Amino acid sequence: MIRKCVGWAYAGFILLFLYAPVIVLMAMSFNASRYNALPFEWSTRWYEELAHNEKLIDASLNSVYIALATAVICVVLATMLMLWFVQTNSGLKRWIDSVVILPLTIPWLILGLSMLLMLSALGLDRNVPVLLIGHVIVSLPYTVLVIKARLESLDLSIHEASASLGANEWTTTFRITLPILFPAMLAGGFLAFIISFDNFIISYFLIPSGSSTLPIEIYASIKFGFTPEINAVSTLLLTATTVVIVVIALIMRTSLKYFFK
Amino acid sequence: MNRRIWLMSPAVFLLLSFCVVPLLIMVYYSFMSDGAGGRFTLQHYANFFQKDFYLRLTWKTIRLSLAVTAISLLIAFPMAYVMARIIQKGRNLLLLAILIPFWTSQLVRAYSWQNLLRDGGLLELALRKLHLIGEGSLGLLFTPYAVVIALVHIFFPYMVITIYMSLEKVDLSLIEASKSLRAGPFTTFRRIVLPLCKPGILAGCILVFVPCLGVFVEPRILGGTDGTVIGMVIEDLFFEIYGWNFGAAISFLLLSMILVVLAAFSRLSREEA
Repeated sequence: MIRKCVGWAYAGFILLFLYAPVIVLMAMSFNASRYNALPFEWSTRWYEELAHNEKLIDASLNSVYIALATAVICVVLATMLMLWFVQTNSGLKRWIDSVVILPLTIPWLILGLSMLLMLSALGLDRNVPVLLIGHVIVSLPYTVLVIKARLESLDLSIHEASASLGANEWTTTFRITLPILFPAMLAGGFLAFIISFDNFIISYFLIPSGSSTLPIEIYASIKFGFTPEINAVSTLLLTATTVVIVVIALIMRTSLKYFFK
Repeated sequence: MNRRIWLMSPAVFLLLSFCVVPLLIMVYYSFMSDGAGGRFTLQHYANFFQKDFYLRLTWKTIRLSLAVTAISLLIAFPMAYVMARIIQKGRNLLLLAILIPFWTSQLVRAYSWQNLLRDGGLLELALRKLHLIGEGSLGLLFTPYAVVIALVHIFFPYMVITIYMSLEKVDLSLIEASKSLRAGPFTTFRRIVLPLCKPGILAGCILVFVPCLGVFVEPRILGGTDGTVIGMVIEDLFFEIYGWNFGAAISFLLLSMILVVLAAFSRLSREEA
């Protein structure tokens, strides 16, 4: 019993540390002062200004589009890769494993600017397709790992059973493998979405001049005078995404695990 | 050879041509002299090693990353232990709670620390209410300490998750066996639990240490003049006209350092197996 109390107390302390900045930013989005000054004074002024700030709304929409595209591409590529993994015993497997993990082991600063150097070597300007590819590169390892974890927990004899019952490979893939992988595909896509959505560094180096994403707007705003509208947009996004996570977690209780694998 | 190779080729093609090739191009640039029609030169590397400034900054960045990794481990291990071994009801809720802050922008969270840490800010007010500090100001913001706090805040959840996953897999019967052989709780922990979750600890350390070496945003927001790191130098060089080649050289040195660290880690974890 004492163990449990100490355990919960410690967990509470850690959550306080984890949530303090988040709670502060949410509270400040309702504070009237532009400079986050205390004492606190209730106001919804920043939400009203946010509704009229087209630059910020455009940037947020850009971020959503890029993140959606990244998530879809990552899920498709990772699923194809994993279907190959199930069907082969090729010696390439180990080698491909390390190529997929590679972007995880390199700071995004170096990845971003090496892609910028490649563009310059090719004499190209920064452009949206390369920006999107950059986002896919940094998100793909996570999607692959999530789907792979699911695959490894899978009993492969189910494929043999399917084959011995006369199903061809395509039937097995679409009737057996893909439905089993589906929760992991969803979780992996989710993860890719959030990594892309929050990605500042890759966008910073690869975004065409004149365009912007939400993290880039936030960085500019922090550098050149913060506007509390950023607090407001962050609060809205956090609320929306929390609702989405909780709903998905409730719908598929088991698949929550795959966020961690 | 497998005829379904087309299934894996798009992902591998993308990773090779937009991750491996750019890194090779970066290495090439680092050996080229500045300006048009560059020739082979070691000048950029010589620059780096001759100037005390860059070596000191690199050492400082390594120390900062080590500090963040060590503190993350210290606070994440008990949390993972509590989640995996002590709390049964509400475990999933705790996992969810650890994940949700991932959904707020890292930049905004870093900025939010400014509000908390600044003189006369919320932390100072709270500590004064609790009579933990006197009338003096906190003096935390715009120091390396503020950077460490913000980086620990951003990265320690990764550590909680990897350690939790490995702790969860520890076979309870081993702990029972250890107890029945009269090992005390401390011996059981040191001889059974710790070795079994070593892979999780090592993975967590890598997930914290490597990205820390390349940070530049948090130090800019929170570090002040004393909080400069090597990542900021690289960023600045890429916004100068003739800075790219030198920036590429520093990036390559940083990358080599990371590869050495990774090799050491993978050796450590293989020794275990």
